Amino acid sequence: MVKTTALIFGYNKYADEIVTNLKDKYEQIRVFSLSADDIQNSETKIELFDMSDEWIEVMTDVDMSSSMAFCVLEDTAENIFLTISLRANFKELTIIAIASNKESANKLKMAGASKVIPLVETTSDIIANMLEKPISNKVLHDILYEKSALKISQIRINKESTFKNEQLTSIDWTRYNGIIVLSVMHEDTKSEFIYSSKAKNHVLREGDMIVVVGYEADIQEFEKKIGSRRYVNWNHWSW
Amino acid sequence: MLKRWILDFAYFLDTSKSYQKRKRFFYNILENSKNKYKKYVDILMMMLIFISVGVLIREVKHHVDDQLMFFSNYIISFVFFIEYMLRFWVSSSISKTIVARAEHDTFLHREVNLLKAFKQVGKVKLTYMFSPQALIDLFAILPFFHELRLLRIFILFRVFKLFRYAKSFQTLASVLATKKFEFLTLGIFATVVIFISSVLIYVMEGNNPNSPISTLFDAIYWSIVTISTVGYGDMVPVTRDGRFVALLVIMAGISVLAFTTSLFVSAFTEKLDEIKEIKTIEDITKLKKFYLICGYENVSREVARKLLNNNNNVIVIDENAHRIEKAKEDGLTALNYNPGRLESYDKLNIDIKRQIKAVLCLRKNDIENVYTALTIRSINKDVPLLSLLMNDSNRKKLDFAGINTIVYPQELIGLITKELVGKPVAFEVIHELRSENANVKIDELGITQRIVDNFPTVGELGNKDFRVVLLGVYKQSYDRFYFNPLDDTLLEVGDYLLVVGYKVFILEFEKYLHTKVKNG
Repeated sequence: MVKTTALIFGYNKYADEIVTNLKDKYEQIRVFSLSADDIQNSETKIELFDMSDEWIEVMTDVDMSSSMAFCVLEDTAENIFLTISLRANFKELTIIAIASNKESANKLKMAGASKVIPLVETTSDIIANMLEKPISNKVLHDILYEKSALKISQIRINKESTFKNEQLTSIDWTRYNGIIVLSVMHEDTKSEFIYSSKAKNHVLREGDMIVVVGYEADIQEFEKKIGSRRYVNWNHWSW
Repeated sequence: MLKRWILDFAYFLDTSKSYQKRKRFFYNILENSKNKYKKYVDILMMMLIFISVGVLIREVKHHVDDQLMFFSNYIISFVFFIEYMLRFWVSSSISKTIVARAEHDTFLHREVNLLKAFKQVGKVKLTYMFSPQALIDLFAILPFFHELRLLRIFILFRVFKLFRYAKSFQTLASVLATKKFEFLTLGIFATVVIFISSVLIYVMEGNNPNSPISTLFDAIYWSIVTISTVGYGDMVPVTRDGRFVALLVIMAGISVLAFTTSLFVSAFTEKLDEIKEIKTIEDITKLKKFYLICGYENVSREVARKLLNNNNNVIVIDENAHRIEKAKEDGLTALNYNPGRLESYDKLNIDIKRQIKAVLCLRKNDIENVYTALTIRSINKDVPLLSLLMNDSNRKKLDFAGINTIVYPQELIGLITKELVGKPVAFEVIHELRSENANVKIDELGITQRIVDNFPTVGELGNKDFRVVLLGVYKQSYDRFYFNPLDDTLLEVGDYLLVVGYKVFILEFEKYLHTKVKNG
């Protein structure tokens, strides 16, 4: 389902950056803070919330099925408590939470966060990649942050797909100029690299997904040729 | 006239580039531990020392080959003589002293007083000649006159020369030197005790025909053997008075021994950290390339771990002793130096341009990071600098401090969330490729002349045979990435192949690229 509302819990530098980056992506962004001072001092419209709130009552005016929650409280314990409160009340809500370290990331996952961004690990990953693999880092960074026309997409094998019931290795991928197939994802499993032993003998079935890299136009062309569509399944998220 | 000639000659030597260059060369190979040739000179000298000591030992009971004898007595002595003269030469500059005196007197409109200059030169040179190391060097030459049997024992002075060449001996000497006063006190105490006990035992036992202690030398010998708690037992007092003296000497001996032991232990305990630090700096000096992390906090810890996993050398400096302890516990080479102080880098004794891959300012404090960056930039303008930025309003200041790469974690989180909600697939795949624990990796392989010779075009690489996906080629000459290049794309030296695959297969592919013989 298309997410139209972003609910950001916690008002700080992280919240600011998230608002800046997401304002074009969502119809509505609502920021909640634990501190009344934030409401007075900020230019952004901020709503007050309390950890003891009955969430179902507070969120009566929000369609939770089309919302996404971001838990960015700086206090780790509070952030975990907030995550578990949201999950307890809204089983289907997509919750993205930030964690200061691995330990709190595990706890947030246990508390029901759909996706956890560990700050230290993420920052150090980026730094190490910048230093050790500057070119690949730049290319991947460009793909991610839209400076490049290159895209990575996930394409679902449909009923009418030409690849259905074909063995992965038997397909001549060179026919599809401009795209590179990286991996195949069986339904409800993790992705398998195209050259892995498992993928080698895999016969594509309806519901399988292939991950491809290419320019937008080439990917569209590829979709047309094989009769499949791009697909996003939030349940495939894993950390 | 002579004065004029001496002055002219002094000025000539002082300004002569070739003379100064030669003098500097000899100074470096003899005295400058940073010089790369010094260690070879040291090793050569140590070998000569061991040869001459070996000959001395062999000579006691066996005949030594005449040529070896000649080598030991003359050649080695001659080498040591040359070394002594060179050290004497480079120890101070005569010409500089004369020129300085001439300048001084001329400035004050006085006649140049060469006598004062020579007095000064004589004083400096004599100070050098009477220094313990110079005396040892001199005595080490004396076995040249080996016909004088007594002088042969001076070969042992060559062993003392080892102090010059082996750094650990110097460390030992420097450790003991810190307790100079205590050792002096101990020496005086031991001397007084030996003197009193020797006189007493001689007085008590000297006239007794049954006593083995009959001379003052016997008394001194007995005193030293007893006081050192060795007690051979070859000489024992036989009278009651003598035995009473022995009791006192034994008790005094225990205190001397305890005092000596505690002095050695305390000297080493106090200096242990310093010794370890010296060793660490020596190890760092030997490193070819390393990352220097300034400040050890959460992000530094993770970055250091990742860099170490990629077989990099990582050095951490931080002014906080607690954080440095943590870095050491994490298995890193860490020094408790302030990254914002110039003297820290002087102490480190490193060539920043040659040895450092990049300096990482990873404190969670923009002020500290800027301060460190400016310190580094004041030493070297080119070394890559990366810094964390904690508050976006400080970005310009970090830029101005000469930091090449700024990492702002809050911004990263903003971008990541944007990707997560907008392009979750791309995010997942790229995260997977970047993750250090993933089986499938993205890697970049540099193109060398050998690879260009064997594989001129992309189509000839054969990456698919190695189950490796070629994502694209980065052309350095155009600073551009070419995704999925056509088979006839030409490869050039300096290009990079961006490949995706299992780590082991990428390694195999890389090995194949580098080892394939032309047309083979």
